[in-house]
Amino acid sequence: MIPVQLGRGGWVNSRSTLAKAMAVVGVAVMLAMAGCSSKKPAPLPGENPNGSQIGENGAGPSGGNSLEDWKTGKYGAQGPLSDIHFGYNDYTIADQDGSVLKSNASWLTAHPQTKVQVEGHCDERGSEEYNIALGAKRAQAAKDYLVTLGIEGSRVSTISYGKELPLCQEHDESCWQQNRRDHFAVSE
Amino acid sequence: MRRAAKFLALACAMVLALATGCAAADITITIAGPGSQLSTIAVSGLKSLGGDDDHRVGNAFVNTLRRDLELSGYFRIIDPHAYIEDPQTSGFELGQFNFADWRSINADFVVKGSTNVGGDGVKLTAYLYDVAQQRRMMGKNYSGDAGDVPRMARRFADAILEAATGQKGPFDSKLAFVSTQGGRFKEIYTQSIDGQDLFRLTGNPTINLFPSFDRSTRYVLYLSYKSMAPALYLADLQQRRETRIESPHGTVIGGTLSPDGERIVASIERDGITNLYLLTRDGGEIRQLTDTSGINVSPAFSPDGDMLAFTSDRSGTPQIYTMSLDGGAAKRVTYSGDYNTTPAFSPKGDKLAYQSRDNGRFDIFTIPAGGGDPVQVTDGNGSNEYPSWSPDGRYLAFSSTRSHNSRIYILMVSNRKIISALTEGNGNDSCPAWSGWLGE
Repeated sequence: MIPVQLGRGGWVNSRSTLAKAMAVVGVAVMLAMAGCSSKKPAPLPGENPNGSQIGENGAGPSGGNSLEDWKTGKYGAQGPLSDIHFGYNDYTIADQDGSVLKSNASWLTAHPQTKVQVEGHCDERGSEEYNIALGAKRAQAAKDYLVTLGIEGSRVSTISYGKELPLCQEHDESCWQQNRRDHFAVSE
Repeated sequence: MRRAAKFLALACAMVLALATGCAAADITITIAGPGSQLSTIAVSGLKSLGGDDDHRVGNAFVNTLRRDLELSGYFRIIDPHAYIEDPQTSGFELGQFNFADWRSINADFVVKGSTNVGGDGVKLTAYLYDVAQQRRMMGKNYSGDAGDVPRMARRFADAILEAATGQKGPFDSKLAFVSTQGGRFKEIYTQSIDGQDLFRLTGNPTINLFPSFDRSTRYVLYLSYKSMAPALYLADLQQRRETRIESPHGTVIGGTLSPDGERIVASIERDGITNLYLLTRDGGEIRQLTDTSGINVSPAFSPDGDMLAFTSDRSGTPQIYTMSLDGGAAKRVTYSGDYNTTPAFSPKGDKLAYQSRDNGRFDIFTIPAGGGDPVQVTDGNGSNEYPSWSPDGRYLAFSSTRSHNSRIYILMVSNRKIISALTEGNGNDSCPAWSGWLGE
């Protein structure tokens, strides 16, 4: 039996309430500054096991940001826009997905107040970092396609989650095929 | 804050005496290498000279030492139930005990010693004896707090390996890794190599990846999605604060810390293209290192900090490359296999370990850093990924799915023998980073 000291050992539990409160303020400040090139030292993590600052605003009822949905247990819900899928280690838009992207573009045109974040996802094979880079290529490919269809680039952002947020957990091709995808998270 | 003080105490304040007075008695012999026949070693209980009547201090030393020696792959630990003498009544100095008690249970080596626990802390003495030669090979005195005793055992294990093999062992060090234990979220943990002092560094339920240490183990750099967009975070374990590393060039999706802790190589993605950049520790840009329209990731510094190994798809498939950080062209190192990634320089800088795909799963290989023939070091069981060298270069830590959950394992490079799991596997463990020796 390997001794485990997590319960009493982590910075999580050993901090005072004041320190926790300060940490929460620190995280909030950091979030507010996201997008700037913030170099200010922030408190070490670990103070905020529930992560309540993240994900409580802006997420739609479905088809929202995958990381927020993953955190809140709503993961896998589809929104107004449909996912597209990719071949192994590939980021080219398949012919049949061109029509999916056209219908996604039509919806975005009909809802001009919305923005969309294209999320690139990968299957479990391959290294974590390479897959984040590959997912970024998949997200960029869909963004480029939507822009070609007339959607303003400023309405379309991208993010890659690599292989970190799989829709399907089995270790076979049918599952991998579902996981190699772009998801479209819509926000106001 | 007590824990922080302790962490610092471990890093700086532990006072370690050198070899005992009879330094001339130190002898180095070369034991048979790991493989056919392991050397046998008995680790006796420590004699309490005062203050350790329940043997808690002595047992903490002995149990840690036995585990480390087992993990070394050089020794078979003789079951303590077979030991004949009572360490509390027999002596521990040469001439104060009977070697026949150890020869009769077929011990090649025996460790004996003493504790003295008082108001000023723990004083601990340990000796390594060669049973056949009836000689003392090595001895150390240690002093510190009771909480420092497992670390004394790690240092003694390292010294035993030095006495027995001519090369210091790697156990006075740390392992950082990613684990989903306790939930769905990947958090960064550290622990000792022997599994003690498990410590959760991150507490944000998002995605945390790629921990790397500087040589002094003061800093841990890691990637986190905790503010939604991925960014690197440099945690200063001494100051207990961290800096967020972002880039005006795009989204930071990975990175590693230089051995001296002064520089970072970050993988930065923009418009779907990922290139490597050399940054200062606080994120200031020094120079762009790669410039291709594809993927350049998984940077790894050489031990002297002058070279970089990384993964690039510029040939059409992910392959390992090296380049000088002073500039100059990238040199392709791997040619076998169509998916090679996660390179790591050996401590001498002469080899790279990396993962290579076959049939949808990976094995760990080593290859001369200048190019050459790859050598497979894992056995095709499960997917074996993310190699990280021990500071002495004898071992690799890596993740493997060989027993259901992904866990971190240790293997000996010379004989490719997987010795043990290093993590418990309560969840999936990945991305191991083996630190340098502590206190150096």
